[in-house]
Amino acid sequence: MPSVHIIMPQLGESIAEARVVQFLVKPGDNIDADQDLIEVETDKATMTVASPCKGRLETFSAQLNQSYAVGAPLGLIDATPEEAARLGLDAIAPPKSCETELLAKGDANADKSRVRPTVRGLPVPANAAGASYLSPRLKARMDELGLHAADLAGVAGSGAAGRVTVEDFEKYIASLEKQKMSGASTMRVAVADAMRRSWSRPLATVGLPAALDALLAHRKTCEPKPGPALYALRALALALSENSAPAGRLVGSKIVHPSAIDVGFAVEAEDGVLVPVLRGADKKPLKALTERYNELVELARQRRLPPDATGGSVATVTNFGTFGLIWATPIPLPEQTLVLGLGAGRKMPYWDEAKSQFVPVMEAQLTLSFDHRVLDGGAAGRLLQRIAQLMQQPEKL
Amino acid sequence: MSSLTYLDAIREAQAHALRDDPRVFIYGQDVGNFGGAFKATKNLAKEFPGRVIDAPISEDAIVGLAVGAAIEGLRPIVEMQFADFSAVGFNQIVNQAATLFWRTNIPCPITVRLPFGGTSGAGPFHSQTPETIYAHYPGIIVLTPATVEDAYSMLLEAVAIDDPVIFCEHKLLYRHLKAEKLPTEALPIGKARIAREGRDLTVVAYSAMVQDALEAAKELAAEGWEIEIVDLRSVKPLDTDTVVASVARTGKLLCVGEAWPWGGVTAEVMARVMSEGFGLLDAPPQRLNAKDTPVPFHPNLWAAHRPTVRAIAAAARKILRQ
Repeated sequence: MPSVHIIMPQLGESIAEARVVQFLVKPGDNIDADQDLIEVETDKATMTVASPCKGRLETFSAQLNQSYAVGAPLGLIDATPEEAARLGLDAIAPPKSCETELLAKGDANADKSRVRPTVRGLPVPANAAGASYLSPRLKARMDELGLHAADLAGVAGSGAAGRVTVEDFEKYIASLEKQKMSGASTMRVAVADAMRRSWSRPLATVGLPAALDALLAHRKTCEPKPGPALYALRALALALSENSAPAGRLVGSKIVHPSAIDVGFAVEAEDGVLVPVLRGADKKPLKALTERYNELVELARQRRLPPDATGGSVATVTNFGTFGLIWATPIPLPEQTLVLGLGAGRKMPYWDEAKSQFVPVMEAQLTLSFDHRVLDGGAAGRLLQRIAQLMQQPEKL
Repeated sequence: MSSLTYLDAIREAQAHALRDDPRVFIYGQDVGNFGGAFKATKNLAKEFPGRVIDAPISEDAIVGLAVGAAIEGLRPIVEMQFADFSAVGFNQIVNQAATLFWRTNIPCPITVRLPFGGTSGAGPFHSQTPETIYAHYPGIIVLTPATVEDAYSMLLEAVAIDDPVIFCEHKLLYRHLKAEKLPTEALPIGKARIAREGRDLTVVAYSAMVQDALEAAKELAAEGWEIEIVDLRSVKPLDTDTVVASVARTGKLLCVGEAWPWGGVTAEVMARVMSEGFGLLDAPPQRLNAKDTPVPFHPNLWAAHRPTVRAIAAAARKILRQ
């Protein structure tokens, strides 16, 4: 059982010590809380020291006729476990304010009362802790260094529920300084920012193969020659002009429909990607788009795109096939719902029922990555089917 | 003098002020031959005849007389028997003394000494800590020394200041806090003191709570935590710079006050740190005060009512584990 000290109490404002005159109980006696245990004498009066709790007197450490200062231990009581709990000797109880107690009590009685309280507490995080919690100081420090939450990936947090504390962060930054570092270009930082913002949404990708033979045959008849990506872009624009819902943006609980079918396309430039835009791509035939397309590609590579040729597009086309890739899952721009991808064309065996044999076809994979909050696999699949279908009839584009 | 108490320092400061400045006099109930309720003016009536004057039992009249004497060019030191009773002189302090210079351009150099704070068994009328209420009024300076040295130097400075000063002396410290000698130099009024340096948590405290916070810091040091303790010394003016600079070092804040939790000095410190140093905080700042009830008589209840060393250590651990 826990031992509780008998302490010389503060007997009066001006009293610093008192002399033990008489013991009123003896070791082994059962004692009650507040029972008088020791008679003490000050220069003013005789007073008693009371028991701080219920239990059995273990021992007196004080001696008769000796003086002890206020706060000095005078003996020990073997307290009952209930008493120890009451005195808080078993565990550290968190400090509780009177107001929270009143509120908690109010909640418990809320059902019984006829008038329900209108203030039920604000929707704040229940616990300012956890791996994703960034303290104001950590945020300020990261802003100072131009870092984002994504940069903390891989930092082991030592705070509550694994949160990264400022100390963890500083250690991490110090450890980085031991490695070779080079500055990222402005372009790289801009792309990183766009991708990070985009990745805050649930993204998904669907894909299907499309035969390119008709398209390539058509291309030979054109001057200037449109690239395969432009065919895909025009097909996408036409498909969206039939139904623009998949290109809508979700803002809160509203779908914002596109006001014009302006479609962007990705152009690799130095250390990043630029996205020039073909305005009203659904309104102009392929032939009319080709010259502008080629012009924009050139301007993008020189990084001299005019302001009206960027931004405000409803979807983007990316030709990852130029890197020899068959399949990829590109990420839509943060302000867009869709990105159409075009893989590298290659000869594939195709089973021809009529001839009852394999025939070679030029085929490329089409991918459509989308914001899953706005549309589902079915709608994305139907849109992609329609694009593939339109690409089979290049003369209509 | 081999060892001086906080109470000795207050008596010495008053003797010093009486000796140095003929305009100084002491006025209060039983301050004369009796030497004051706590003996803070012991023998001063004998040493300075006619300048340590017994007052009738009317705090209203006592402060009123002091304000009048100040208008006539004197520098009165008023002793309240207990801070709780200053409520009876409240009108004279906050309506007359605090506004005098503002209204008339005549300074009001009065020092009102308040023996304040809880002691075991003192109950609701002899334990209050009314620093918050006086700090609320513009025109008043509120001092809360936590050491023997500060009790001496700050009381001397209080008497020298041309504004009304509420001088809060903690009754628990009177006889239990000791120093070897009186100081020859001190920080100026309005400047907080780093009572202990540390890197893990800033504890802001004042008056007796500084001593309890230092004890708690010792306990936490054994667990590997280094606590920085800021002793405000003066709650008005409040040294925001020193507090914010400390939080800049530690990232964490606990404010401890013996007063009640509704509003008050700890709330003011929190508000200032959050508006001026929000980006310095690495954990939600916390404060620890007495419970929101009148001060209980029973020693056990009293110990549960006010922040203790143990409660300070527990509150600190909670923040340190964030």
